[in-house]
Amino acid sequence: MAIIGPVQQKNMGPPHSRIDGRAKVTGAAPYASDFAVGRPAYAYFVTSSIARGRITGFDMAAAGQVPGLLDILTYETMRGAVKKPTFFAGGGYAGTTIRPLDGPEIFHDGQIVAVVLADSYESAREAAYKVKVTCQAEQPAATFGSAGATTEDAADAKGHEDPAVGDIAAGLAAASATVDADYATPTQHHNPIELFTTTCAWTGDKLTVYEPSQIVHGLKHGVAEQLGIPPDHVRIVSPFVGGAFGSKASVTPRTALAAIAARCLGRPVKLVLTREQGFSVATYRAETRHHLRLGADADGKFTALSHEAWEVTSRPDSYLVAGTDTTARLYACPNVFTKVHLVHVDRNTPGFMRSPPEVPYLFPLECAIDEVAEKLGLDPIELRRRNDTMKEPIGGLPYTSRSLMECFDQAAESFGWARRSAAPASMRDGDWLIGWGCASTCYPTALAPATARVILWKDGRVKVETAAHDLGTGAYTALAQVAAERLGVPVGQVTIALGDSDLPPSPVAGGSITTASVSSVIAKACDAIRAKLGVNDSALIDPGIRVAGFERLGVALVQEYAEFAPHGAKPEGIDKLYAGLSTLKGGAMLEDRIQYAFGAEFVEVRIHARTREIRVPRVHGAFAAGRIVNPKTAHSQLMGGLIWGVSSALHEATEMDLGTARYINDNFADYLVPVNADIEDVSVILVPERDTQVNPLGIKGLGELGNVGTNAAVANAVYHATGRRIRELPIRLEKLLA
Amino acid sequence: MSAIHVTTKINGDVVDYVCEADETLLDVLRNRLGLTGAKEGCSTGDCGACSVTIDGRLTCSCLVLGAEADGREIGTIEGMAKGDELHPLQRKFLEHAALQCGICTPGILVAAKSLLEHNPKPTETEVRFGLAGNLCRCTGYDKIVRAVMDAAQEMRRA
Repeated sequence: MAIIGPVQQKNMGPPHSRIDGRAKVTGAAPYASDFAVGRPAYAYFVTSSIARGRITGFDMAAAGQVPGLLDILTYETMRGAVKKPTFFAGGGYAGTTIRPLDGPEIFHDGQIVAVVLADSYESAREAAYKVKVTCQAEQPAATFGSAGATTEDAADAKGHEDPAVGDIAAGLAAASATVDADYATPTQHHNPIELFTTTCAWTGDKLTVYEPSQIVHGLKHGVAEQLGIPPDHVRIVSPFVGGAFGSKASVTPRTALAAIAARCLGRPVKLVLTREQGFSVATYRAETRHHLRLGADADGKFTALSHEAWEVTSRPDSYLVAGTDTTARLYACPNVFTKVHLVHVDRNTPGFMRSPPEVPYLFPLECAIDEVAEKLGLDPIELRRRNDTMKEPIGGLPYTSRSLMECFDQAAESFGWARRSAAPASMRDGDWLIGWGCASTCYPTALAPATARVILWKDGRVKVETAAHDLGTGAYTALAQVAAERLGVPVGQVTIALGDSDLPPSPVAGGSITTASVSSVIAKACDAIRAKLGVNDSALIDPGIRVAGFERLGVALVQEYAEFAPHGAKPEGIDKLYAGLSTLKGGAMLEDRIQYAFGAEFVEVRIHARTREIRVPRVHGAFAAGRIVNPKTAHSQLMGGLIWGVSSALHEATEMDLGTARYINDNFADYLVPVNADIEDVSVILVPERDTQVNPLGIKGLGELGNVGTNAAVANAVYHATGRRIRELPIRLEKLLA
Repeated sequence: MSAIHVTTKINGDVVDYVCEADETLLDVLRNRLGLTGAKEGCSTGDCGACSVTIDGRLTCSCLVLGAEADGREIGTIEGMAKGDELHPLQRKFLEHAALQCGICTPGILVAAKSLLEHNPKPTETEVRFGLAGNLCRCTGYDKIVRAVMDAAQEMRRA
């Protein structure tokens, strides 16, 4: 097993156990579906069994006989009840603009077609099973290459430019070694263990929604928009979230339907989607295709990078991740060409899934680098070193900090890379073929405007209020540490209120922005309190100074509300935040600089010579992400990220029936994720790094840094073990048998 | 449907409740008894988030009917700590950071407690395979194994 305890190094806070940990290990932590509401009715969805067509009729006779049935809502009674949602990419809230129950049209498999309401969950489910829906089906397009799929250039979709520089043809002509290959990544679903639940309760014309959310202020405004009611009539309660990974970051159609159901019945409604329904009611990571060409001269300097990609989206919505924004800028290269295409098919709208652009887009690039290195007879780490840069090649902007090679050096040392025999299939242990591979990882450092209120009592108790979210990331603890340090009190005296739209707004818990953005605003509020107490900027605050300050002021508590806007933010950023919108700034989106966190990932695979069973006995990663507020929770996030990466490389794929465009393995028996028995040594190294520009505290995000490079590191290790380049994920044993 | 009267013991206390014949034990615990520590993750016995013990045997409460608890002894996460004193497994999970979002944690703790009751000195491999029925998506697998091994050692010393 790996060494566990992260030690405090330079520019890191002290490792601290979760302040909410006790509530979690005793079962007391209240997740959204754990809240009791008086005498609720239960909702169960009937979902579409076709992916494209029209509903021609309902037969409710059998369902109507089920004891306890209260009502069944369909488009026949609900048309117009839900207002048209605005898509998040168009400046709105919704993860899809598809409005179920607004008409007979079916846009995708698993679309909600009826809401069954009953006195008990069991009655609602039984009646839902007995609702007969007849449809006129049309041939759906499932994915790339399906008849009826339509392709558009992503450059036409709002906001995207294909980054490019130099002359790609000249660059390829100048190369001594080139790779020209096609790659593919599969559909994946987030599958947080917590199901998608919604409980709605009305008090008069005020609605309270208990729903796990990564953006409570966004959900509040999005639901208000869909119901046509004022946003201040809606409150979202979500103090604990049982995993999200992007799936709870935009408004799904379920919430407005549950709210309307509760209003119709005049009593609270509880809705718990089944695991299967979550696959089509929420979002997913769409499958991608890539054509990548990479050239390097005899010295190993890149001369050309061409990255063309295709992404799947739904018919009405242009969801786009466009990871070429990152791949075009990751290494020094004078000639870069990129182009992204969107392919519209008859599926639900995809959405953010942990490291949305980087996971599918770094896979081809980091595999191709391994291949070019081999052609040049260079170690793959050395090839990356020769193309490391402090200036991105597209606009020539400087990186604020970049510790990529330091991460490679530390991870290589920990892994024992120097003992690697470079030739493929040259390391063997009995029946097991051993392969060692590595890859870079990176994730943009973005921030968004945030607000918070901090209260300090004379006796040293502190309360922080901000509608940020802890998805398991450790936000409760890290934010308490920031306030405690700033106000000179023990962490145990700080209470943190998060996950409630009645609190001052914070941005989406997505894009790895929470710690940097929300710590920044909390520090700002704390500094205002320090100023009131007469403590100058650099002085330590101790109980004596605090009490003296309070006595001078003659008050029992001091509270400060603060607003923070990151570098590059527009003045209206805070207004937008109050309207439930997060405006992320950073990464490659700035005009004067580029900011990313980096890491290096090393994987050992063992592949059985006869059965081709693939085991992963070792994964080592080294990561640098500016100031680390809490090394203990940061370590957990990065370790979890590496295991996500192994899962993505070897296990996960949502399978589809190409004829009907329906998901096949929409359950935990068939959607493969690793279990305890699949994972062995996972080592995380935190590399100290100081960045004085990203924000006043020097914090970068790291929640999505761990799982980006792993796909390629595993694929490169599989090549090293077997001599086979597998360019289509996931790498399962059948791909090694042929 | 006629309601069924059930007399059972939960975490050592005698409990009486009335449930429907088709209601799962998980729904009874969560919706009727307010014991929301057991979580629903799949309803098919694949994720282990709803783990409880019935007469000492580890069980997915989503696969058992509430009526079947009659005359049995049920153990849930709510019975694991003694008042304010955490069970060694709970303490070690905190120390080793063996939890993130926490939704799988109650089920994993119940499963780990059951594992150690049957095998007080498990090997690392036995822990990995013994807990293979509990999915953690965040994922804290290595830390979970370490915490269980550490707790087992402490419990043997006690």
